[in-house]
Amino acid sequence: MTASPRVALMITCLADLFYPEIGERIVRLLRRLGVTVTLPAGQTCCGLPLFNSGFHADAAAVARRTVAIFAGAEAVVVPSGSCAWMVKHEYPGLLAGGSDAAAARQLAGRTWEFSQYLVRALGRTAFETDTSERVAYHDSCHLLRGLHESESPRALLRNLQGAEVVDLPGSDECCGFGGSFSVRLPEVSTAILDRKLANVEASGARCVVACDAGCLMQMKGGLGRRSSGVRAVHLAELLDRERGGVR
Amino acid sequence: MSEPLITTPLRERAQQALGDRFLHEALDIATTKFIDLRREAFGDFPQGEGLRDRARAIKEATLQQLDRHLERLIDNVERLGGHVHFATTADEARDVILDIARRTGARMAVKSKSMATEEIHLNDALAAAGVTPVETDLGEYIIQLAHERPSHIIAPAIHKTKGQVAELFARELKREVAADPEVLTRIARAELREKFLQADLGITGANFAVADTGTVVLVTNEGNGRMVTSLPRVHVAVMGVEKVVPSMTDLMVFLSVLAKSATGQKLSVYTTLVQGPRRAHELEGPDEFHLVLLDNGRIAQIGGALREALYCLRCGACLNVCPVYRQIGGHAYGYTYPGPIGILLTAMLNGTRSVKELAHASSLCGACADACPVRIDIPKMLIELRKEVDEAKLAPWPERVVFKAFARLLRLPALYRLGGPLGRLLQRPFVRGGRIRALPLFFGHWTRTRDLPPVAARTFQERWTALEREIR
Amino acid sequence: MTARADFLARIRGEMAKTRGLFPAAAAERPARPRERLDVLRRELIERWPQSLERFRVEFERVAGVFHRVASASEVPAVLEGICRAGGAHSVVTWATPRLGIDAGPTLAAAGIAVHAMPATVPPLEERRRLREVIAHAEVGVTGAELAIAETGTLVLRSAAGQPRSTSLLPACHVALFDRAALVETLEQVGIALEAWHEGVPPEGQGAVINFITGPSRTADIELTLTRGVHGPKEVHAIFVDAGLRAGG
Repeated sequence: MTASPRVALMITCLADLFYPEIGERIVRLLRRLGVTVTLPAGQTCCGLPLFNSGFHADAAAVARRTVAIFAGAEAVVVPSGSCAWMVKHEYPGLLAGGSDAAAARQLAGRTWEFSQYLVRALGRTAFETDTSERVAYHDSCHLLRGLHESESPRALLRNLQGAEVVDLPGSDECCGFGGSFSVRLPEVSTAILDRKLANVEASGARCVVACDAGCLMQMKGGLGRRSSGVRAVHLAELLDRERGGVR
Repeated sequence: MSEPLITTPLRERAQQALGDRFLHEALDIATTKFIDLRREAFGDFPQGEGLRDRARAIKEATLQQLDRHLERLIDNVERLGGHVHFATTADEARDVILDIARRTGARMAVKSKSMATEEIHLNDALAAAGVTPVETDLGEYIIQLAHERPSHIIAPAIHKTKGQVAELFARELKREVAADPEVLTRIARAELREKFLQADLGITGANFAVADTGTVVLVTNEGNGRMVTSLPRVHVAVMGVEKVVPSMTDLMVFLSVLAKSATGQKLSVYTTLVQGPRRAHELEGPDEFHLVLLDNGRIAQIGGALREALYCLRCGACLNVCPVYRQIGGHAYGYTYPGPIGILLTAMLNGTRSVKELAHASSLCGACADACPVRIDIPKMLIELRKEVDEAKLAPWPERVVFKAFARLLRLPALYRLGGPLGRLLQRPFVRGGRIRALPLFFGHWTRTRDLPPVAARTFQERWTALEREIR
Repeated sequence: MTARADFLARIRGEMAKTRGLFPAAAAERPARPRERLDVLRRELIERWPQSLERFRVEFERVAGVFHRVASASEVPAVLEGICRAGGAHSVVTWATPRLGIDAGPTLAAAGIAVHAMPATVPPLEERRRLREVIAHAEVGVTGAELAIAETGTLVLRSAAGQPRSTSLLPACHVALFDRAALVETLEQVGIALEAWHEGVPPEGQGAVINFITGPSRTADIELTLTRGVHGPKEVHAIFVDAGLRAGG
């Protein structure tokens, strides 16, 4: 009898404060898949905003803290591609040459974005959803180009019973969030967002799906000002149960 | 320092561009077309990925032996009767070219498109010295008439509609001109043909220079590059030092990816390999050939943070895919080189101060790095520039204060956890129907165009204990 | 103005600060390019029909006009047809020995003047006159050193009797080639370029090599494609089955 997998959840600051329901969905789903979920205490943020704005010493200090908090985790699951990228791609460099360099590399190797974890680590792709809406998938930049992951979310959607999946033209185009970019150049950020939402509306989807809280905040933010009635959700919010699984 | 610092805030320049309907449409059409063409070209070309890797490796390898390759290039050019000049600054480059013009009695110079000559503001200097510069690339000819600067690295007039071009030509020629690209092209052909035949001096850039043979390579489509290097008596090529490639074999690797990345063509119409002045037994060709090797900030990056930017082939692919460029166009960047690579080049040529805002003109989406034929990691260097801006204390102090406070907050979990209750308290006057639609001060930058979610009634970490118990 | 030594010294100084971003090597050059080219040519000649077909497809894709004749003696008639179609009255050609054909008689009979470029450089006055002739000719006829199947490209070298403008100034460019010119890929062109620059250049060699891929074009106005900007508006390629050099 194999031991049930254990994951530590890195909830991310945006999901923690603004979208706790995403975290809740993820935890419940993983539990039903037989995964034990822990939430290491004292989590704050992965430090990406500091890193992207060039405050690397400060980002390193945050990274150091995070590495310590997640030390010993078998696997770390992250609801946002950008945060997963930060840990996997940038933590080792930020902490290179320090006493926690090895720990940072270890953490990087054990961190998964949520959809990656389901598909690549657990091998589970067949789920059901209660929604019968048309859904379209938006590739968040850090997940797509940073983690080279475009297939796992699509596999989950392709195999999702209930929803109708449509192609999103320009799915790989940025939504315009970019962290502080969204408020440094708000008009440009909004123009980019308008283009994204026009594509969403043109696709016929009623629901745009993403695997990043930043993209969701930007898209939900713009959709709230449009009359199209399209909603933006995290992929976890569509995965109601495994197919053929226990209710 | 190559160019004077722009004082209008970037945000203002961007807003102005966003409000320009003509520009918006022109950009949309052009960038979308370029993206489709590039995708098609590489879609049909499975060897493409491997060649991009090889191209990148050749660029890096060349930098690792740059001095030796340049020495061979110089020796070969001189062996064939050409002259090589060394320009550390834009001033020096202009001076050497004016000197050549003066010595050879040139009164008119025909130019093939060269971003290097734009970078050193050569045209103004030529005109001031009584040498009429004539841009012959159609796009450059158009912007020369309009007294504007290029807005794209390979399609300088892409921001202009055909109606605007017709107006320009009509003003110049003092007669009615149809807004039809065919007609406009024919007019340019006729106008410029005479200039090619009369000019004393031909000035070009160089896409590559082959060290092994002393050959300067020009990649063009219109034929003006060939005219400019065959008809006038004197040919001057201005080239950044990083453009040298070791051998003809290396050259072919670049040629196999360059045009595909730029315009989706397998090859540009003309690839011209110029090896010095004409030979004694040749009927045509310049009697004098000069190669001006340009530093202007490049050399300092060989060992610097922007080294990778020296790989750039000037194909423009990164501009076409950049969500920011696609919205604001090239002029809003304010300097010679626009777009993602343009920000790095601006820093290279003009220093960190010149990019204190531009370094943030990016959502760091990475589409540029994806499209780059030599896989330059532009986002990484943009972040590096942001770091330099911070370290040089060039950002406005409130920004530093906010980020430093945020950094502190993230290391004090007890304080961080106050974010929940404090946020909920402060947001109460602003939450309507489960959303925040307007916030004062700095936060208004977001809420003017987008809703903000309220801080959750219970944050995830606040819910955890109960949730954990429930799912046990 | 900076001196060479100082310029290079600065470069060396900067290079010393770093080992570089990653271990990397330039492309491997053939050790004996001329030998390699000979071997390549022998291989290519086995596959010439496929190369020709590929060339034709790619050449037409970039708006080139492809012709094929059995022998060099049929070329003048094709040229006449091209001239008539374009209403051309004046043709310039590479020097006759370079071209492998003499279209003079046929075209003259049709009232079309043919000016073959001299094989040696005439005095200045004559060069000026020739420049005028070339500038007013409507058709330019050249050979081609290489025809690249991968891209539909013609490669021309300038030389004595092979001036650059013949393929540039007239609005219509016609290139004659045979199976010996066919190569398949850009990589193979690299071998040819290495070979051409190995050792002492042959007698009469010029300073310029031009790769020509279709007629001159631009999309600078609203990305609308137009042809014949400064260079030729039409490019024709005439393939001669039996070869261009008398006796092969």
